[in-house]
Amino acid sequence: MSTLYERLGGAPAVDAAVDIFYRKVLADDRINGFFDSVDMEKQAAKQKAFLTMVFGGPNAYTGKDMREGHRRLVARGLGDVHVDAVIELLGATLKELGVRDEDIAEVAALANSTRDDVLDR
Amino acid sequence: MASLTFDDRPVPIAPNQDVLSALLAAGVDAPHSCRAGICQTCLSRAEGEIPAEAQRGLSKAQKEQGYFLPCVCVPKGPLKVLRAGPSLEATEVGVCAIDRLAPTVVRLRLEPCAPFAYRPGQFLSLETPDGCVRSYSIASLPEAEAFLELHVRLLPNGRMGGFIAERLSVGDRLAVRGPFGACYYDEADRDRPLVLVGAGTGLAPLWGILRDALSRGHRGPIRLYHGARERSGLYLSEELAALARERERFSYIPCVLGSLGAADGDVEKAVLEGEPQPDAASYFLCGGGDLVNRVKRALFLRGAQLARLRADVFLPAS
Repeated sequence: MSTLYERLGGAPAVDAAVDIFYRKVLADDRINGFFDSVDMEKQAAKQKAFLTMVFGGPNAYTGKDMREGHRRLVARGLGDVHVDAVIELLGATLKELGVRDEDIAEVAALANSTRDDVLDR
Repeated sequence: MASLTFDDRPVPIAPNQDVLSALLAAGVDAPHSCRAGICQTCLSRAEGEIPAEAQRGLSKAQKEQGYFLPCVCVPKGPLKVLRAGPSLEATEVGVCAIDRLAPTVVRLRLEPCAPFAYRPGQFLSLETPDGCVRSYSIASLPEAEAFLELHVRLLPNGRMGGFIAERLSVGDRLAVRGPFGACYYDEADRDRPLVLVGAGTGLAPLWGILRDALSRGHRGPIRLYHGARERSGLYLSEELAALARERERFSYIPCVLGSLGAADGDVEKAVLEGEPQPDAASYFLCGGGDLVNRVKRALFLRGAQLARLRADVFLPAS
């Protein structure tokens, strides 16, 4: 029985997904305002850590880091609709990479589990 | 009593707190992973008393230079954490040529008095005898040229420019430190289109990278876009045009902002129109932050890979 991370293809799959995902985020007018003033390399590194986590890979996820990292954005209006948009773009990225719907649902559930931390609730 | 500074700014640190968590709490984007003194991701340099456990596993040379692991460092006294990068001994250089390339651009050629290894496109810091320090990209090719070539933009009331224009003579001695940065040609890109985009003295690293790529046998096409505010700012244009005539796979695209004629238009527009398939190419973008960041983002959105979008932003001296 393979794990989600193994089925998705592990670290190389994360590498393949990060540019596609980040490009979708930057192109999406619903959420790209939150990413405007950010160093692109640093942002891509953060997205890589996030993708590794939601792919079920090895990670050092802490709700505390997630809260602190997004608190400034929550103050600027980051809310559920934006988290929904990110999860949608994550699904579209995986679809583009040929991932099965069941696995996409699992990734989306993992991403959704960070919602309250991201939104500092 | 423990105290902490990062890049000369004070950072609050609690008793028994490690340096990494203090830096992160202060908003410093410090790279880290294991938080246990093992992976060395957080390796940094500092001045001050570094506890022995924060240097476990490092080489003798690293310890002597003040390298340490912030994640397992609980300082007992004042500690000054330095911004990452090699802080090397200064190398003395002799000025061998000072030439005006454009009304506001001076080419400096400096001969190092000790070996100075670098790749074209990296940058160094140049220090005058009265302590003015500025960063410049390196335009020379070490295999072909014994000197370090820098292109200095003369700004109204600029300290370095004023010093060069009024006081510097051939034969004078200056100091350089470096090299720094990763903006240089990678032979893994040999078969890809190479797209070089620069504005103003952003041409300096590109002039080095271009000749480095050619001398290392680059096989893909190379396109160099150089933008300037005035036609007179298109320095090295004769050399670049000659190179374009000589090398079938090299194109030179000069762009003068707001002008009419052969070199019409702004460089950003020229790049976005001239590169219809951004995903295949490898890029170097050099110059002011606004332009570089705009072009980088636009190319990424059009499909360029982030890892192949190398950028060097020229920051104004503060």
